[in-house]
Amino acid sequence: MIRVQEAPFDAGVEQQRLLAGRSDIGAVVSFTGLVRDFNERPDITALTLEHYPGMTEVALGEIVTQAEARWPLQGVRVIHRVGRLTPGDPIVLVVVASAHRRAAFEACDFIMDYLKTRAPFWKKEHSITGDYWVAERESDYRDASRWESENDEIP
Amino acid sequence: MSLTHLNTRGEAHMVDVADKPESRREATASGHIQMKPETLALLSEGGLPKGDVLATARIAGIQAAKRTHELIPLCHALALSKVSVDFNLDEQNSRVEVVATCRLNGRTGVEMEALTAVSVACLTLYDMCKAVDKDMEIGGIHLDAKQGGKSGDYRRQEGPVAAPIVTGEGAAGQVSVGSRCDIDSACVRVKFLAELRERLGVSDITVPLDSLPSTDVGGLKSVLVKRDPRFAQLSEGRVLCAVNQVMALDATPITNDDEVAFFPPVTGG
Repeated sequence: MIRVQEAPFDAGVEQQRLLAGRSDIGAVVSFTGLVRDFNERPDITALTLEHYPGMTEVALGEIVTQAEARWPLQGVRVIHRVGRLTPGDPIVLVVVASAHRRAAFEACDFIMDYLKTRAPFWKKEHSITGDYWVAERESDYRDASRWESENDEIP
Repeated sequence: MSLTHLNTRGEAHMVDVADKPESRREATASGHIQMKPETLALLSEGGLPKGDVLATARIAGIQAAKRTHELIPLCHALALSKVSVDFNLDEQNSRVEVVATCRLNGRTGVEMEALTAVSVACLTLYDMCKAVDKDMEIGGIHLDAKQGGKSGDYRRQEGPVAAPIVTGEGAAGQVSVGSRCDIDSACVRVKFLAELRERLGVSDITVPLDSLPSTDVGGLKSVLVKRDPRFAQLSEGRVLCAVNQVMALDATPITNDDEVAFFPPVTGG
């Protein structure tokens, strides 16, 4: 299940929903990304997340499909927020359930790495000294390339 | 549109309203004072040292509305027929919202009176609570609506909230609905997203399909550069492209009514 929304989410509630009525799940890994008050500049007061409606949902869906092809998963939830957020606010949630922990850990890691390099979201940070668009990071691409093999599609 | 408080020489003057017909005038203004949650709790329980805060602020607001002409140089003295000042304790945002309405049958508007009532009510709230909270902040004072008079009725439009976002004449907070081609012949709809939109100063354009030297992304780029050299940026550095929301390269073909988006590398998560 994939959602792009302005409203905040509750990671606990989302995890419970994923697990409700299931007894075949042996492991659930949940990752929540938060807005930091420092990034490219030290005094960030807010950030605005823009996305490309339509393409965003498709891109997230493809990432989840790829994760499901690589690991035996029993449930995935991805929620990404858009709009104006302030430090401490949750931005993104990935919850992955599997029979075993290794698959759940790795799939969650994989989904976040691909989300950061392939899903059409853009962050604009608002700091005391002005607003600026966040630059892409080499390290994010390095992280994502850990999962790539020769027969993968690279955007 | 001109400033009525300036005469033809640009000097401040008071508008002569003697010949204006009387009409029923009403204006509503609002504002808020932000405070600590503890202060708001004390205020609602009546536990502040200066006593009944809201009753005092209400009287202050009403008095201020009646004396607006003493404070604002070019305002007329008005015989207001009604002034109300109301408070809403907003616990979620930890603030008191103040709403004032003024009314009269007369020749001038009463928006200055309503704005003054809100301002002074907020100042009085500050005075009444400052013993326990000096960080309070007054803000958002604005006219909500006015009725009557020559300039007609006015109702404030809430500005676009910073929200989900793709494009819209370069303004953040707008979603542009995928518009159809606005010309009769075959065309492509081109979008520029995020930083690229701000750098180029354009969010959506329509390009006739038959103007492309080759019906692919590369052809589109070259026709855009011919329109404006700034579009050369589309071939510089890391600018990504999607055709109908699927990642594309220069060789990706384009057909009638396709949506082509150019955007910088993604930075979500």
